Amino acid sequence: MTSAYVFSEDARLAAELVATAAGLADVVHLVCAGAPPSDPPAGLTSVIALEPVGSGSGPAGDIRPEACTAALANLIGERGADVILVGATVSGWEIAARMAAILGIGLISGATALRPAAAGGWQSERMMYAGAAVQTETWLGPAVVTMAAGQAPQPARPVSPGLEPASIERIPVPLDSRVRMVSRAAREIEDVDLAGAARIVCVGMGVAATEDLKLATDLADALGAELACTRPVAEDREWLPTERYIGISGVRVKPELYLGLGVSGQVQHTVAIRDAKVVVGVNTDPEATLFGICDYEVVGDLREIAPLLTEAIRAQQS
Amino acid sequence: MSRTVVCVKWVVAEGELRVDPVTGIVDASHVRQKVSDYDRNTIEAARIAAGTLNGELVGLTFGGPGARGALKEVLARGADRAVQVVTDGGARADGHVTANALAAQIARIGEVELVLCTEGASDTYAHETGPRIGELLGWPVVTNVRSLSVDGSRLRAIRSLGREEETVECDLPAVVTVVPEIGPAPIPGLKAVIAAGRKPTELVPLAELGLSTPATTVRTEVTSLLGYLAERKHVRIADGDAQTKVAALVAALAQQGVLR
Repeated sequence: MTSAYVFSEDARLAAELVATAAGLADVVHLVCAGAPPSDPPAGLTSVIALEPVGSGSGPAGDIRPEACTAALANLIGERGADVILVGATVSGWEIAARMAAILGIGLISGATALRPAAAGGWQSERMMYAGAAVQTETWLGPAVVTMAAGQAPQPARPVSPGLEPASIERIPVPLDSRVRMVSRAAREIEDVDLAGAARIVCVGMGVAATEDLKLATDLADALGAELACTRPVAEDREWLPTERYIGISGVRVKPELYLGLGVSGQVQHTVAIRDAKVVVGVNTDPEATLFGICDYEVVGDLREIAPLLTEAIRAQQS
Repeated sequence: MSRTVVCVKWVVAEGELRVDPVTGIVDASHVRQKVSDYDRNTIEAARIAAGTLNGELVGLTFGGPGARGALKEVLARGADRAVQVVTDGGARADGHVTANALAAQIARIGEVELVLCTEGASDTYAHETGPRIGELLGWPVVTNVRSLSVDGSRLRAIRSLGREEETVECDLPAVVTVVPEIGPAPIPGLKAVIAAGRKPTELVPLAELGLSTPATTVRTEVTSLLGYLAERKHVRIADGDAQTKVAALVAALAQQGVLR
C-alpha cells in the first residue's frame, strides 16, 4: 500500500496536490500548520494538524509555516511515506528542501510530471535551463516533490467523492522560533494583468534611450496591447516596474500577439512567451537569438519600424 | 575571526546549448561554462555583509576540475580566499550530495557566521542547496531575501513572498538565500582581476571531508534531458526599406487574424 503526504500553506494548492496524490497513492494524508481546514479536499484519508505549542513570532502571533519544517519531517520520518508533495511557494520551497535534508532524501523541485517508474520507484519531469530543456529523473524510496499551482499533474485515477470524511488528528509540536517575523505586508504592486493580455509589446535592452520607450508605448496604444519588458529593463534600468517584466522569474504570458522590440532573446525570457500564438521580433541584429523562436523576424531599426507600424495600424483601424 | 561564506555554482552557459532538431537531445559538448548568473549579485551582497561583520569572505564551490573558473571569479569580485571541494571523476551530484559536501566544508572552515547562497542556479533553479546546508549545519535559514542587513550577532532580512513581503530577524550563524534584487553585481575592474590571481585558493578532494557513503550517494538518477523545440513560422522580413518591411508585417499579421 503506497502512502502520500501533502503539505501546503496555500489551501487551494493543497487541494490540487491532494488530487494528484490520490491518483498516485492508496492513502493520502494532508498535513497542515495550525488548525485543520474546515472543509478538507476530497480524496483524503486523514488530516494531520501540527499545532505549535506557544504563539508565533508574528505581530498577531502568526505562525510562519517554515517553523513547522522539523515537526513535519519528523512526523513523516516516523510514519513512512512513499511520496511527499509540497506546494511550490516561497515557503514551500524552503520547507521541502529542509525536509529533504532532515530525512536525507531526494528533492524534485517544481515537477511538471510525477508517475510510478516502469522499473519500480518513481519518475518525474521538471524544467532545466530556465525551460530550455526537460529533465527526467527516477528514484527509489521516498522523495520530496514540489509542484506549483496549475502544474500539478492530473490524477491518473479518478478521485471518488463522497467517501468517508477524512479523520482529523491534532499533534502538538514545539515551535521553531529561531527565525522571528518582524512584520508582513502587502507589496505595492502595479495592477497589470500581463498573463491575461491578448496583445503584448515588449521592450528589450535594444531600446537604448528613454525617448524610444515612447515609441513602444505608442505602438502598444495603437494595438491595444499591454506594455512589457525584459528583466534588465525593469531591474537594472528600472524603466518599468518589475510587474511588467516577462521571464522565468517574472510573468509568463500567452497572448495572441507578442511583439518584441530590441529583445535579444535570452532563454529566461523566451521560455515565458512560449505559449504566445504569434511572435514578432524587431531587431537590428539578424543573428538575434529571439529570431530563433519568431514567426516574423523583422530585421531593422526599431526607431524606424515602430513609428511606421503604429501609423499603419492606426490607418487600418480608421 | 568572523567569516562569511558565499557559495557559487559553475554551470554551462545555457545560451550555447544546442538541441538536435529531430531527437530533441541537448548537446552540452563544446559549451562554455560560467558562474551562475545571479551568483554575481550574491557575491557582492556577501562582500558587503562580510565588511559589516568586519571579517573574512570565503568563496566556496563544489564541482569537477573545470569549476576552478568559479574561484577566479569569486576572488575578482571581492572574496579574500576561495575553496573548491572537488568531485570524484566527473560523477554527477544531486542537491543531497552537493549540500553535504558544502556543509562539511563550511564546518571545516570554522568560525563561519553567515552563509550566502543564491535562491536558485541558472541550470537547475531548484531552491534547494541553501536550505539543505542550513539544516545540515543545524542553523536557521532565511530564503528568497531581497534585502539583508547584519548587525553584530543578528541579521534582518526582507523576503519576497509573492504579493507580500516578510521582514524577519534571526541570530547568527545562519544561512541566507538571496534573489538578484539583493543588489547590483558590479563588473570587477582590471586591478581586482589581477589581484585575484594572488589570493589564496584551496582544492579539497571530496574524499577528504570524511563524509559517509550515504551522504555522497545521489538520491535521484537523471534518465533524460530533452530540449524544447519551438514550432514557429520563421518568416524573415529583411528586404527593402522600413516602410516595405512594415507593410509586409502588417499584411502577414492581418492574415493571421491577430490585428482585429
